[in-house]
Amino acid sequence: MTRTTYRWAALFLVLPLAVYIAIVVFPLLSSFYYSLTDWNGFAIDYNFVGLENFEKMFSDRLFSNAIGNTLIWTVAAIIVPTGGGLALALVLHERGVFANLYKSLFYLPISLALAVIGQIWLWIYQPDWGLINASLRTIGLGDLTQAWLAKPQFALLAVILAWSWQQTALSMVIFLAGLTAIPQELIEAAHIDGANYFQRVRRVIVPLLAPASVVVIALAVINSLKSFDVLYVMTRGGPFHSSDNLAMFMYNESFQKYNMGYGSAIAVVLFLITLAVIIVYFRQSAQVERLYD
Amino acid sequence: MSIKRLLFGLTVFAVVLLIGGAVVMAQQQDISIVHYYSSALGQETMTALFQTFEAAHPEYKIVDNSAGHEDFKTQILVTIAGNNPPDIFSYWAGARTQFVVDAERLLSLTDFWNENNLDDIIPAGVKPAAVYNGEIYNIPMNVHIVGFFYNPKVMEAAGITEMPATWDEFIAMCDTLKAAGVAPIALGSLNRWPAQFWFDYMVSYTAGADYRQALMAGEAAYNDPEVATAMETWKTLVDAGYFVPDANAYDWTDAADQVANGDAAMTLMGTFITGYWDGNGLVAGEDYDFFPFPVINPDLPVVTHGTVDGWAVPASAANVEGAKALLLHMLTPESQATWALGQGALAAVNNVDTSIYSPVMKKASDYLAQVEFLSGYDLSTTPPMAEGGLNMFAQFMNDPSGYMTYLDETQAVAVDVFGS
Repeated sequence: MTRTTYRWAALFLVLPLAVYIAIVVFPLLSSFYYSLTDWNGFAIDYNFVGLENFEKMFSDRLFSNAIGNTLIWTVAAIIVPTGGGLALALVLHERGVFANLYKSLFYLPISLALAVIGQIWLWIYQPDWGLINASLRTIGLGDLTQAWLAKPQFALLAVILAWSWQQTALSMVIFLAGLTAIPQELIEAAHIDGANYFQRVRRVIVPLLAPASVVVIALAVINSLKSFDVLYVMTRGGPFHSSDNLAMFMYNESFQKYNMGYGSAIAVVLFLITLAVIIVYFRQSAQVERLYD
Repeated sequence: MSIKRLLFGLTVFAVVLLIGGAVVMAQQQDISIVHYYSSALGQETMTALFQTFEAAHPEYKIVDNSAGHEDFKTQILVTIAGNNPPDIFSYWAGARTQFVVDAERLLSLTDFWNENNLDDIIPAGVKPAAVYNGEIYNIPMNVHIVGFFYNPKVMEAAGITEMPATWDEFIAMCDTLKAAGVAPIALGSLNRWPAQFWFDYMVSYTAGADYRQALMAGEAAYNDPEVATAMETWKTLVDAGYFVPDANAYDWTDAADQVANGDAAMTLMGTFITGYWDGNGLVAGEDYDFFPFPVINPDLPVVTHGTVDGWAVPASAANVEGAKALLLHMLTPESQATWALGQGALAAVNNVDTSIYSPVMKKASDYLAQVEFLSGYDLSTTPPMAEGGLNMFAQFMNDPSGYMTYLDETQAVAVDVFGS
């Protein structure tokens, strides 16, 4: 670029950069700042407490509970939407009858806000007339009905399943795009060499989907870490914190218990975890790109 | 030349527009307000009150920035902390108001109270809800009391004509209902707070109101034998199968529907349930009725738990005069009557003609006049403590057998909040 174009570029970047600083960088830095205080969110006065908020996490049962649940969510995010999305993509890529119709149908959840998805699944899980319990009763398995979201052993998994419904659709779309990028000759060559369908999938298609897989898994993990809306609509972390993830726990501490300082400290931890995942993601995708260039 | 002229013309036009706008704005002042009356009926009645206010005070314009009931808690915190508060906002009297007072974010309304002789119209029983650290910070709008709301048709079908006044009578009634195949008690503790009313009455009626106040203030421990006895009494009701199963799966309106549909006989709830039922076309006295929580230990004082909703003015409110004018409008007998009827609430002032009440609200009003009023759990103890307690009630409703463990955990929260 010439000097003048640089100047023009800099000029045009001023506004977006200012907005970015005002609504991303500044709040981020102030979270770091408040994480070192005992601010309650209302008061004009507060004290600096150093790293006390971070020390408190080690002995806080609710914090370890939230970390554990976040971990469960992340592991589920790697397995469920990735597996489901891959399976759907493989089936729909075969261009059977109505493939495009099914593609659209499976794609639909992406067009809904997660809050809406939460509301839909609230109805599905409703104990008296919800789809799941009503179906169980219809097929004579009435004994298996549960108040899914009211039981601590089911609530988190129930929310993750609802969240996966959308995430799987997203994964499917990325895998479908990845599949179209695979040269047909390679698959045909494997076919001629006598590889059956599952061998072709395992030995040819899945390895060639590596770039797509990195994107799918990274998006799933990042989305799982920042998931809040669906949880807020469905359980608010309840019953009694059994479905708290880090984001919900942070919200509860900040806005329900008015521990804004501690809430900010949790936000910092969540930020660092997400940052670590993003760094790994960028490194991986750079590697994969080098591999295929 | 013509472009220059056009630009000049546009500039003049813009300046005129700016000045004109400023003049109009100076003539009509905005009063920004945030409130939590987000139900259809509440919002409608509140809007009607705003309209009568604007008709009487053309110099003011109400700007209603309200969000939903649950989101309100976050919204008000963020606007106050961000120093961008409304001029006036609805707030629960009690510990929540105390919390904002202690943060020095509210305007003292003591002078306003005295200048307008509010002692004459606000009953002495309600006044404590207005006073914090010796000053007035919350102007009461309405009172709700908590008691049993029941379906008279279900009771009649089970052969029950007299509502219980003692604990033995209450247990006997529950047994009769159960034998008749009706779940005696509905509870929707999905949002946790509906369960707190059980805790309130259990503690007040087994350990006494004084002990309860000490517990709320952090001067007694959650794992004291007094609280354990209260929980044990509550547990016997759950164990006897009086509650509709899976309370944590239902909201309080679901529980209200269960009673209205005849799936359950009664629910322990605030008088605001009458507003919900009236809105659904139920008839007070025919489709639903009220009896107070029966006394467990007759040696202890009779109390009623409930809520006082009021108005607070932020310390940094831009339009304090407007807020005060609106407060006076809210306290007129006409506004209070409109509000009480529209919201299913008891008026906060004594100059409302009680004959406007439905027979059910009349009962509640008469009861309130006889007994001591105490705020409910999450309005009696500081918000961080209330979080811990509400959590414990949900745990209890899921599995009451572990209540001693839950009490120990809750006491750990109390130590954290109040210091040991």
